[in-house]
Amino acid sequence: MKSLLAFVLMSAMMCWFMFAPIYKHVFIVRQAVLQKEVDYLLEVGASGERGYISEAMVEQSRARLAELGMKPELLVYELASTSGQPADNPEAPLQRGTGLMLTIRYPYERLLEIDRLIGLEPPSPDSLMGARGLKMSEYMR
Amino acid sequence: MYKLLLIPLMMVVWMLLHVLQLDEEMAIQTLFHSKHAVNRAAHAAAQQLDSQELAGGRIVIDRQEATEAATDYMRYNLGLNEAGEPLPGSLLSAEPEIVVFDIIDGDTSFPYRYRSEAHQFEVTLQGPGVVIIALFRYPRAFTVLEPIEWKVKGVAELLPG
Repeated sequence: MKSLLAFVLMSAMMCWFMFAPIYKHVFIVRQAVLQKEVDYLLEVGASGERGYISEAMVEQSRARLAELGMKPELLVYELASTSGQPADNPEAPLQRGTGLMLTIRYPYERLLEIDRLIGLEPPSPDSLMGARGLKMSEYMR
Repeated sequence: MYKLLLIPLMMVVWMLLHVLQLDEEMAIQTLFHSKHAVNRAAHAAAQQLDSQELAGGRIVIDRQEATEAATDYMRYNLGLNEAGEPLPGSLLSAEPEIVVFDIIDGDTSFPYRYRSEAHQFEVTLQGPGVVIIALFRYPRAFTVLEPIEWKVKGVAELLPG
């Protein structure tokens, strides 16, 4: 009887101990994947060949992230340049010296929901995690 | 009854291991993040050509503008504000210390071998370039991990074309 009581008292705690770290790990990995994607797009987009990140490149990036288990329609891409000029236009690439800024955001979904077991309030499912980067364009023509 | 003692004890050990693992994962993340920031800062600095010198046919990097560009790009990429303080969501708790900021241009003949004994760093430059070495301290979330410091090195060069 005593051990049953101990088990009931501890079960929520035990559940949290066993599974919470895995969700934290998934969270870190998602963040890392977003950062990698930002790095890749900037590397390609700010190179001397392009100077922009076009709609088509964003679509390809969504497809890559979808392969890793993210929902492509929930990804938010924010593109900007340091000069205020649009950064997604292949017709008018950013010239050398202008910075290309990219932020990719993704909702937390219900990733940290398990923290409720120990009484922590998880961030709302709609709030966004994000990764960002700024690289100077090399395009010159 | 001894089981009641054993469970909390196991939990503490378990928790320490998890905390250690999470902190190590974040440390690697921070290192990659820092490396990209340093690379982009060097890259931006290397593109600040002095246009007056260029008119005279010499390729010289403008010291002042290169420093400004490098600082701006580094701060944006690391999530620091204009005073160098971390914005919400930044992986760092303070601005990295710039240990080396060298500009190689002007009368240097290329290919040029850059060597820094003090930081055990060596690189061959094919054109005018910028070398940045920055000291990053990882802000540990838990004290289970030993303090970590990295000297992150980044080089960028300016090539015609």
